[in-house]
This record gives sequence, C-alpha cells and structure tokens, in this order.
Amino acid sequence: MTRLKTPLGLLLWVNCLSAWRRLLALRHQSRLLMGVIGIFLVGYLLLSYFMFHVGLRFIGRFPGLGSLLVERLIYLLFAFLFLLLLLSNLVIAYTNLFRNRETAFLLTLPVPVGTVFSWKLIESTLLASWAFLFLIAPLLAAYGYVNRVEWHFYPTTLLLVGIFLVIPGVAGAAAAIVLARHLDRKTFQIAAVTMLLGFIAVVAWRFQPEAIAEEQLEARVQAVIDRLLINTSFAQSPALPSYWLSAAVQNWAEGALRAAGFFALVLLSHSLFLARMATRFLGTPFADAASSVQSRSSLFAQWDWFRRLELRRSALRAELRESFHAERRASQNGGLRCHPVWHASDPLDRMLRILGLATDARAIVSKDIRLFWRDTTQWGQTVLLFGLLTVYVINLRHFTRQLDSEFWVGLVSFLNLGATALNVATITTRFVFPQFSLEGRRVWVVGMAPLGLTRTVRIKFWLASLAAVVLTLSLTVLSGHLLHLDWLRILFFSAATTIMTFTLNGIASGLGVLYPNFRENNPSKIVSGFGGTFCLVLSLFYILVSVVTLALGSPWGWRDVDPQPGRAAFAWIVFVLFSILAGAIPLRLGLRRASETEL
Amino acid sequence: MIELIDLVKHFAEVRAVDGIRLTVPRGEFFCVLGPNAAGKTTTIKMLVGLIKPTSGSARIAGFDVQTQPLEARRRLAYVPDFPFLYEKLTPWEFLRFTGQLFLMDDDAIARAASDLVPRFQLEEWLYKPIEALSHGTRQRVAIASALLHDPEVFVIDEPMVGLDPHHARVVKDTLRERANRGMTVFLSTHQTSVADEMADRVGIIHRGRLVAVGTPTELHRNAGTDGALERAFLAITEDNRLGDPSPAT
Repeated sequence: MTRLKTPLGLLLWVNCLSAWRRLLALRHQSRLLMGVIGIFLVGYLLLSYFMFHVGLRFIGRFPGLGSLLVERLIYLLFAFLFLLLLLSNLVIAYTNLFRNRETAFLLTLPVPVGTVFSWKLIESTLLASWAFLFLIAPLLAAYGYVNRVEWHFYPTTLLLVGIFLVIPGVAGAAAAIVLARHLDRKTFQIAAVTMLLGFIAVVAWRFQPEAIAEEQLEARVQAVIDRLLINTSFAQSPALPSYWLSAAVQNWAEGALRAAGFFALVLLSHSLFLARMATRFLGTPFADAASSVQSRSSLFAQWDWFRRLELRRSALRAELRESFHAERRASQNGGLRCHPVWHASDPLDRMLRILGLATDARAIVSKDIRLFWRDTTQWGQTVLLFGLLTVYVINLRHFTRQLDSEFWVGLVSFLNLGATALNVATITTRFVFPQFSLEGRRVWVVGMAPLGLTRTVRIKFWLASLAAVVLTLSLTVLSGHLLHLDWLRILFFSAATTIMTFTLNGIASGLGVLYPNFRENNPSKIVSGFGGTFCLVLSLFYILVSVVTLALGSPWGWRDVDPQPGRAAFAWIVFVLFSILAGAIPLRLGLRRASETEL
Repeated sequence: MIELIDLVKHFAEVRAVDGIRLTVPRGEFFCVLGPNAAGKTTTIKMLVGLIKPTSGSARIAGFDVQTQPLEARRRLAYVPDFPFLYEKLTPWEFLRFTGQLFLMDDDAIARAASDLVPRFQLEEWLYKPIEALSHGTRQRVAIASALLHDPEVFVIDEPMVGLDPHHARVVKDTLRERANRGMTVFLSTHQTSVADEMADRVGIIHRGRLVAVGTPTELHRNAGTDGALERAFLAITEDNRLGDPSPAT
C-alpha cells in the first residue's frame, strides 16, 4: 500500500484487497456446498462447450455455406451481447455512481471527481461484464477447437474481449450520467424497463418469421439462405464495435493476422479514445449529476396531473390527521368517536379480508405486495423476464410447420417447461431468497410481534408461490394452446409447472433462512453471497433433473421410443418425490432455524 | 473558517434551506440543532460539497466548496451519521488508506495514529476486519480516521449515536481539545444536552432557516427561558411553528 500513492492506485488496492478477502472467506463455508457449486460451474462450462462444439460443427458442415453461416452467427451473437452489455452497464453504472455509499464517501475526500469517476467506471464495467465473459468463454473455446487454431488465439481473444468491454462500459456510464442528470431514480427505472420492452417489441416486429414452404426448403435452399443473410446483415454493420471484435477474432482464427490486426487496432483506438474522453471529461458532469440525484424530487412533480394527485393525497392525509386528533380529543373527554376516514381500509386490504386471512397474516401479505409494487427493481425484473418468455410463447404460433411432428411438439413442450422454471428460479433467487435477511433487519417489527418468524416465513412462502403460480400457469396454458396440445397434455405440464414453482419457492424460502445476511440491506448483495449462489445452483440442478426425468418418461413417447404408461408413472413418482425432497427439506430446515433464531 | 453565504436549496417546490448566512470562526465549537426535516443535513451536504446549492455558496478556510473543491476538502473532515467503512479492511488499513488519500506519509500516519488509537481504545480491534466490529466501534474508527490528517474544519452528523457514555466522553473531550487547538467543529445533533455542554455557539435551523444563533445563554435570553437548552430550543421552534420563521445570522 505504501508504494501506491495515487488516489486511483489506492482505491484499486483497497478494493482488490477486499475482493481477495471475500474469496478467502469462502474457505469457511461448507466444503460440500462449495464442491456442489464448483461442480455446477465447471459442469456448465463443459456442457456449454460441448453444445457449442456440436452446434458449430453441425452448421459448419452445411454444404458450401457452412463457414458463412458460422461467421454470421458469431456476428449476430456479439451484436446482441453488445446491446445487452450496454443495458447492463447503464443500469449498474447508475447504481454504482449515484446510489453507492463508497461514492458519497469518496466525494467528501480530497480525491478529484475525475478519479472517483474513473474508479467507479472500472468497477461498474467489471460488475456488468463478468457474466458476459462467463457466457462467451465456452463458445470461443469451441470455436477455436473447431477451427484448429494456434495457441495464441486464446490469449489474443481474451485481450480483444477485454478491450471491447471498455466501449459498452463507457457508453453505459455516460448514458447513466445523462439520465441521472435529468431523471429521478424511479423515473429512470421505469424508462429503462420501458426502453427494454420497446426494444423487445421492435425486435419482435423486425424479425417476423417468414413462412417457408416445404418445396422451398428442398429446391431453393440458396434463396432461403439469402433471405436469412439479408435479414441479419445489420450485425455486420462496420459501425458496430461488436463487428470489430468479431472480425478480429475470426480473422485471427483463420490466420489472416493482417486483417485481424486492423480490426484489433480499430477496436483498441476506439476503446482508448472513449476511455480517455470519459476519464478526462466525465468527472465534472458526474459530480453535477450526483448532486442532482440528491437534490431533485420526482420528474412527475413537473406535471400538473401529478401535482393535482399529490394535492388530493395531502388533503386526505390532513383529513386523517384531523380525524386522529378529533378521536383523541373525544377519547380524552370520555367518549369514543370513530371517524369514517380513519377507519377506511384500502382496496388491497379489503381484498385480503375477502380471502379470509388473519389480521397478522394480512399485514405481512399487504406489506410485501406494497413493497413489491413500490420497488421498481422487483417488478421491473419480473416484467422483463416473464415479458421475454411471453414474447417467445406468443411466437410459438408461427411454429406451424413442425406441429405435425410429435417429436418437435414434445421437445418444445419440455423446453418450455424448463424455460418457465428457469424464470421462476431467477425470480425466487433474486427476490424470495433475501426476504428473511431483510425481515431480520426489521426484526423489531416482525420478529417481536406475536406472529413470529416461523409463521412469517410460511406466509412469505405461500404468497410468493401463489403469485408465481398465477404467472407460470398462465404461460403454460398459453403455450400449450399455441402448440395445439390436447387438454391432457396441458394438464400434464400445468401440474408439473405448479409442483416446480412450489418447490423452487421452498428452496429459496428455506435457504434464505439457513443462510441469512442481516448486515446487508441491499437484496442484490444478499443474493450475491454464498447462500444466494447455492440457492441458484440447487434450483438449476433441480430443474435439470426434473425436466430430464419427465421428458425421459414422457407418456407420449419419443421418435424411437413408444409410449409406456409404466415408465411414465415411474417418472412422475420420481419427479414428485424429488420435488418434495428438494423443496420441503430446505423449507422445513429453514422453518426450524427460524423458530430457533435468537433475536 | 466556515462561511455559509445566503445558502439556498430547493427540492422542486420545497425550500429545504432558505437563505442561511453564517460564519463560524477558527477554533469555534458550533452545534446546529433543529427538528426533523429542518434542513440540517441538507446544509451539511452543501457544506461538504455533496450537493450544489440552488444559490449562495459555502466556503471552508476561504475556499469555495464548489469552485475549489480539492482545496476545501483537504482542510475538511466529514463524518456522517452512518459512516462508510470498507468492511473487509482492518481499522489500521482503513486509517492508512484515509491518511494516504490526504497525502500523509507513513511516518505522519503512524504519529497521528499513535495518539488517536489509544485515545479511542482501538488497539484491541486494530487488526480485526471492520465487518466484525460493533456500531460504536465503527463510529470510533470513522472519527479517528477523520481526525488523522488534523483537519482545519471538522463536520460531524450525530456523533454520539451508538457510543457508550465512556466513548461519548472521549469523543467530546477530543473534539473540545482539537477546537482549543484551532480546529473548527460543526456538529449537528438532536441532543440538546450535547450542544449545551460542548458548544461555543448554537444555531437552530427550522424549516430551512437559521432562526437563532448564539451562545446557550444568549439563546435562553432570546427565548425567555432558563435551565436546560432544550427549553430554549422548544420555545424558539414552537414560536416559529405556525408563522414564517425569521432568519438569524
């Protein structure tokens, strides 16, 4: 630490040391659990590598056009990943620059704002990009293997990817500063979600499926491929940084080092230029925006209709206050006078009364629903995940040609089941798992109430499960309808989805109690700890085993396997038993731990 | 040493700080009191440069916080009510880190720490991760690290939260001692007893305005009260509860 005298060097040192100690702290975790997570991560990399390898070889063997199709796929993949990186950097940079305690701390020290911004830019880019590296590593390894590249392809590619990541990092941070300067946090989140949904809608509109007749596939392959290439040619726009990266990587793989060097230099010059511009000129706008974020009321406040609404709310609050004082005065004078406004319940409360919930359970459910609704992150991410899945399911109506094929219908049905369960797993890990830790911080309210922590966990489990089942069942029935499945199949998948939804909620609720983090009040940080990672791994493992078990024992058989009722029944018994084990054990252990928790 | 010149801050239609004009000279222990949402924290945030004033300016040791931020911050130390600390560092590492950010060399850090560490009884915790420390110990680490570079102006928000009576005494004595040596202390608190005991002068902010400034005796005289400072505070803020508070300087 002595030698690193520059503020940026000190910040890097302190944060690297903290990260290293977080890694070392993993030694104190259970070896069994660490082993499970490690095996899962390695398994993911190997499985992805294998699938990319098989896929690239399959496409590469396409007569005359294999290499062209592989090339286009790489361009497309990087183009879409670039867009996702932009969005990811925007969201993470906003939080890291304007909702971060370290940033506020640094802004009071004699550290130039440009240095604070530079450190936060590095941190945000790393946070937003590690998953990208994790995603593309097996693809690039498989691509290198299929193309029999030289050893230097791998380190060069890693370097190129590192240089590439600077561009979305800077662009995301710059966009976050502009948005923070003009939008408050809630409006920003709503705008981000709206933009992404708009983007999805544009993509859905832009990439309309084209009907291709049977004879076209057999006799006019060239024309069909031409149309495919034309429709995806945007990915090869020379203005896209992803194009420079893809071109550099592919040229390097082919041994065209001169062309690869050209694109690498284009990439490097742009990255260096943008990084220099950002660190030189964005410090002051960042400080201005940071001040604005803490100084501004909602953007909505500028609109008349919102002001009128607020005025009405203020009037209601004043009336409530007055009724309270009137009631107090009345009770002090010996009488008890009930004011109608003071006792009025809101629609949510009335609805929960109809469901017959006890008062304390109603209070917890009502509170959780309100917090979910008021936290843009929670409903925004839920809407995005299930929105994407809905777009996919709705597009199943174009899946007409294969509907005659039992194999394809079966395959897509089980893949849909897996995709729905994966979405549920993401939601439960992100939002259900940290619930107990967050309640722990409010222990003086919930923990000390007669309701108790055990019942609180149980109520949260049922609320989350029932809410998720409404979404998953709707999607399952819709996808079954669009695939023209008969009612028996829809029932089959609905039952499977329901069981999986409850199991995944059981895993998240139970592990959330078993691995609490009462120190942290940021749910995303609670999730990123050991317990959250274990919850995600266990959920994914459960989904994999369940979908494979049900698919292997499909009552409708497969291409070379006739339907066998005995095997189907056995698969269901295994699935149900495994679900009970996977969901009920963590939940029961969690409930027991909750009852023993010392407040 | 601290100059707040017609400081105004608007949050949309709300005037959170409404024309505060105040000078706190070198070596003065100044306490600012006020009801919740009076504008104390907003004033402090403008003073330390975290937010920009809508109009007016704040100066530390003659340097404008907005136009000469680095010069101002070199002379400033700020401890918020919930200070940020790196959880995975030890208190000693954190002290060195903050010292180096203030361009202190290792010898200077060691010299300053050798006074502050025993004073705040941090020896036992010096090499343990901050994440393992209690709230009070963290507060002591934060105050010690803020005092390390011997600031000319010390701004602290609710310093006694989480401190036991013994360590609260240590903090009060240390700040008094530093003030006697020339450090200007700007302390925001809800505890009128702390202001009564420690302050050379007290300022009362109410609804964004500095409605009273003076020694505890002067405040009593103005409010027509006696005894604990709390009475003067309640009288002044009650007087200004319904009407438009008139500013003091």
